[in-house]
Amino acid sequence: MIRTTRRKFLVASAVMAATALSLSVMPAQAFSPRSEVGVTSTAIKLGITLPMKGSASYGYNQLPGAMKAYFDYVNANGGVNGRKISLVVKDDGYLPKQAIQNTQDLIGKDKVMAVIGALGTANNKAVASAVNLGRRGIPSLFINTGFSGFNDRKAFPTSSTLLPSYIMEAKMMSKYVKETYPGKKTCMLYQDDDFGDDALVGFDKTHGDLDFAVKVAYPSLSQGVAGVPDSWITKFKAGGCEVQIVFGVASATLYTVLAAVKAQYAPKWILGSVGADIGSINPATVPYIIGSTSMSFMPSVVDPKDAYVTQFKEINTKYNVGAKFNSWALIGMNTAFIAVQALKAAGKNPTRKSLLAAIDASGSTFPNAALVPLNYSKTSNVGLNGYWFGTFNKTGDLVPNDTFTYTVYTTDSGTGPVEKSSYSRPAMPAKGLPN
Amino acid sequence: MGVVHKRHVTNKHRFIGFVLIGLLVYILSNTVDEWKSFQGATIAVYVVAIASIILLTGYSGQISLGHGALLAIGAYTAALTQIYLHLPVWICFVAAVLVTSLFGALLGSAAARLSGPYLAGTTLALAVGLPSIANQFSFLGGEQGISFDAGWPPLSFGEAFTQYKWFFWITSLAALIMMWWIQNLLRSRYGRTWRAVKTNEVAAELAGIHLARSKVLAFTVSAGIAGMAGALLAATINNVSPSAFPLALSFSLATGAVLSGVNTLGGVMIGAVALVAIPEIASLVADRWSGSESVASLLPDFIVSALLILTVFLAPKGPIEKFWSRHVK
Amino acid sequence: MFELINTLLIGITAGSIYSLMAISIVLVWRSTRVVNFAAGGLALASSFVGAAILEKTGSFWIALPLAMVAGAIFSAFIEYFFLRPLLKRSGDQGAEIFLPIIATLGLLGIIKTILNYIYGDRIGALPPPLPDKGFVVSGESIALSPMRLLILGIVLLLMISLTLIFQRTNLGLSLRASSFAPEISRLAGIRVDFIRTVGWAISGAAGATAGILQTTNGSGSVSPESFEFSLLLVFGFVAAVIGGIESLVGAVLGGLTLGIILAIILMYVGGSLVFIAAFLILILVLLLRPQGIIGAKGGRRA
Repeated sequence: MIRTTRRKFLVASAVMAATALSLSVMPAQAFSPRSEVGVTSTAIKLGITLPMKGSASYGYNQLPGAMKAYFDYVNANGGVNGRKISLVVKDDGYLPKQAIQNTQDLIGKDKVMAVIGALGTANNKAVASAVNLGRRGIPSLFINTGFSGFNDRKAFPTSSTLLPSYIMEAKMMSKYVKETYPGKKTCMLYQDDDFGDDALVGFDKTHGDLDFAVKVAYPSLSQGVAGVPDSWITKFKAGGCEVQIVFGVASATLYTVLAAVKAQYAPKWILGSVGADIGSINPATVPYIIGSTSMSFMPSVVDPKDAYVTQFKEINTKYNVGAKFNSWALIGMNTAFIAVQALKAAGKNPTRKSLLAAIDASGSTFPNAALVPLNYSKTSNVGLNGYWFGTFNKTGDLVPNDTFTYTVYTTDSGTGPVEKSSYSRPAMPAKGLPN
Repeated sequence: MGVVHKRHVTNKHRFIGFVLIGLLVYILSNTVDEWKSFQGATIAVYVVAIASIILLTGYSGQISLGHGALLAIGAYTAALTQIYLHLPVWICFVAAVLVTSLFGALLGSAAARLSGPYLAGTTLALAVGLPSIANQFSFLGGEQGISFDAGWPPLSFGEAFTQYKWFFWITSLAALIMMWWIQNLLRSRYGRTWRAVKTNEVAAELAGIHLARSKVLAFTVSAGIAGMAGALLAATINNVSPSAFPLALSFSLATGAVLSGVNTLGGVMIGAVALVAIPEIASLVADRWSGSESVASLLPDFIVSALLILTVFLAPKGPIEKFWSRHVK
Repeated sequence: MFELINTLLIGITAGSIYSLMAISIVLVWRSTRVVNFAAGGLALASSFVGAAILEKTGSFWIALPLAMVAGAIFSAFIEYFFLRPLLKRSGDQGAEIFLPIIATLGLLGIIKTILNYIYGDRIGALPPPLPDKGFVVSGESIALSPMRLLILGIVLLLMISLTLIFQRTNLGLSLRASSFAPEISRLAGIRVDFIRTVGWAISGAAGATAGILQTTNGSGSVSPESFEFSLLLVFGFVAAVIGGIESLVGAVLGGLTLGIILAIILMYVGGSLVFIAAFLILILVLLLRPQGIIGAKGGRRA
C-alpha cells in the first residue's frame, strides 16, 4: 500500500512526461510565417463549420458538397493562379460552443487561410468574439446569416455576411402581408435568439410595422421535443390566425408544417427564406406547401433559362455525383463561385490581408447568381440586400410565376423604404469560370 | 493506514512532486506551438473536472451523470461576476467555486436520500435541463452565450507570448492548486470518513459517522471543484453558452473518470489526456488509412466508446490499479 | 377549453411514448440491475430497420413487428455478449452500478457511430400509416387523430400483454422470480441467465416500438444523430425513475405524468423551461416519495 501511493505519483509524473515529450516532438510553428497561412505555391486551404448532422442540419448539410463540387471544377480547370482549392468541413451541430471549437481547430490545426460560408447567427457571433477573429486578422467570409449586427465593421473587421439581413427580410414580409392580406390576423413563429430578435426589429413600428395576433418564440433545437410543435399550432389556432409566418431554420419549418397538418390548421403560409426549402428535405411535405409564399434572392432552381442555374446544375451533375440540385446546392455553389473571384482579386500571392482588401475594393462587382447586388465595400460587410416573392409549385420548388419573371425588391437594415430593385445582374463568365 | 502513509510519502515529497509537474508544464509551454498550448489548457481543465467526479464517485460512492451542469454553473457564475461586478478574474474563479459549492450542497441534500438509479436519473435530468435555462433569462445571453475574458498575457511577457499559452499557464496553475488541495483533503479526517462510508455504510454509521452529512459534504466539495473546472473551461473558450455543456460533456467526463480509474486520483491525467488525444490520433489514423471524411469524423467517438467498454471489462478499477495489482501482490 | 383538452391530448400521446421507453428501461433494471443507456441506441437502430423494411415492403404493419423482433435480437445480443460477462466479473452484488452504466454508455456510442457510418446524413422515412389529421369535434379539430389513437392503442396493447405475461404465464413467473431471488430461482431449476436474456429481449422490443412511434408522431424521419432520440432516452429514464424504476405500471404512470406536465408547461409557461421542468418534476417526486410513485416498499411487483 505504501509503495502503491508513491508509485501512483511516479506513474502520474511519467504519464505527464510522456505527454510532454510527445507534444514537444511535434515541430513548433514559427510565429510570423513568410508565406500566408493556408496558402502554398500549389494550394489554398479554406474551411467551413456548419451543422452536418442532427435535426438542425437538414438542408444546410448539402452546402459543403456543392461548394466542393465547384472548387473541384475550378481545380480541374487550372485552379486559382495555379493553386488548387480545398475545403475542410467541420460539423458543429448548430451549437455555438462546437462552432468555436471547430473554428479554433480550422485555424490552429488545419491552418486554413480563411473560413467561408459558416452558418448560423448565434454560432458566428460566439465565434467572432471568442476566437478573436478580428484581432488575429482571420477572415470569416460570406457567413450564411442575415444577422444585422455583423454590419459593425469595428466589432467584426474580418467578417462578412452573405444573406440579406433579417431586418430587411422582415420589412419586406411586412409590406407583402399588408398588401396581400389586408386586415387578416397574422401570426409568427420565430427562433428565440439573435436570429429571431433581428426579425422582430424588422417587424416593429419604426420598420415594417406589422402587428401579430400571436407570436411564439422557440428555443433553438426545442423543435425536436415531442409535443413542442403541436403546442405552437395549438396556440396559433387558439389565436384565430389566418396568415402564418415561420421565421425559423428548416427543421422548425418542417415540424411546423407537419404539426399543422395534424391539427387541420391551414393558414396562408409565409415561410422565411432561411428554412423554406423543406420539400427537398422531406418530400412528404411537398403537398402541404404547394401555393405557400416564400422569398429568395437566388433565381429559382427550376428556372430553365437562367444561365447561372444551368451552368451550376451542369457542374453539380458532374462533380457532386448523386446530389440533388436544390436551393442549398445553388447557394453553396454560388458561395464557392464568389470565393474564387475574391481569391483571384487578392493578387498573385493572396494573403489574408489582401483577400479582405480585395473584397472591400471590388466585392460589389463580382458576378454571381443572386438577383440583388453584393454590397461589400470599405464601409459595408453585408452582402445581398433584397428578395423576390414566389410560391411553391407542384414539385415543391419556389417559383416567381409560370414565366420566371422576377420582381425583386430591395431595402436597408434601417428605416429606409422597400423599393423595386433596378439591379441588372452581370452575365455568367464563360463556362462558369471567372477571369 | 493513514499514519503509515505519512511516514513514507510526506507532504514535502508530494509538494516536490507538484513543483516538478509545474516545472514540466512551464518547459512544455515554451516549446509547443499555439495549438498544442490550447490542447494543454484543455487537458488541465479536464484534470480538474475529472478529479471532481472521482472524488464523488470513487471516494464517497455517489454517482453523478450531471457534472456538466455543475460546470455550467461555475462558468456562468464566473462570467456574470465579471460582466456585472467588474471584479478581477481570480475573484471570478473564487466566486465560481463558492456558488457551485452552494448549489452542490442543495443538490447533495436531495441526493443523500437517493440511491443508485434514482441518483443517476436525477443528475442526468439536471444535465439536460440546467443549461437550457439560459434561453429563458436574457441576462444569461441566450443561445450564443456571454463572454468571459481571462485577459491577455501581460505585455512584459513579449509579443511572442500568445493568448493560448497564457490560458495554458492559468489553467495548469489552477489545476495544480486544486489537485494539491484535493490530495490534502482526502488525507484529512473528511477523506477517511468518505472512504469508510463508501466501504460499508452500516459499519460507518455504527462508528458514529453521520451518513447524510458526510455525503452532502462530498457533493458540496465535488461541486466546488466542478465549478472551478467550468470557469476554466469558459476562460479557454472566452465564452459561456448552453451548448458548451451538453449531455455529451457530462458523459465524456464520466468516461474520463472511468479511463482514469474511478477509485483513485492518481490516474486523473490519463483520462484527461485520453479525451484530448484520442480525436487527434483518430484523425491521423483516418488520414493515413482511408482519407474518408466520414471515417475521420466517426473514429474518435468509436475509439472512446470502445476504450470505455474495454476499460470496464479489463481494468474496472482503472489502469493504474490494474497495473499495480499485477506487479505488486 | 379546446386548448386545454388539446394540451392534455398532446401530453398523453407524447407521454405514452415515454412510457414505452420507460418500460424498456424498467425491464432491464428488473432483470439485471443495470441502467441501460444503450436502450436509446437500440431504439434508434430498430427504427432504421423499420424504415428499411417499410421501404422494401411498403407496409407499416410488417415493418413494426419486424422492427420489434430486430430490437429484441439486438438487445439480447448486447446482454449475452457484453453485460452478462461484465456482471459475472463484478459479482452479482449490484453495488457497483457505475460500471454497467458506463458500459451501456459505451455501447450507445458504438451503436451511434455504426449507424452514422452506414447511413451518414441519409434519413430513414417512417411516415404515419394512418391519417394524421385530427378528428373534428363541433367544428374544431382536436389533437387526436387515427394515428394518435393507434399509438395509444399499441401502448395499451403492449401494457396488457406484458401484464398478462408477468402475471399469468410460467415465463412471467420465472422473470419475476429470477429478478427477485436469483439464487433461489437457480435452485428451483429456473435458467436464470436465459430468463435474463429474455427480459432484455422484451425490453428491446418495447424500445423499438417507442422509437418507431416517436418517429411517426414527430418528423416522420429518423437520422443517426437524432436529438429526438437522446430526449426519448432521457425522458424515458426520468419517467422510469418517477415510476419507481421497478414497476411497469409505475413506468406508464411516470411517462404519462411527465408527458402531460411537459405539455402544460409548453403551452402555458414557455418552451425554454421544458428541459429543466423534467428535472424539477423528478426531484419533487423523489423528495416526496424517494421510491417513486409506485414504490418498491411493498416488495417488487410485476
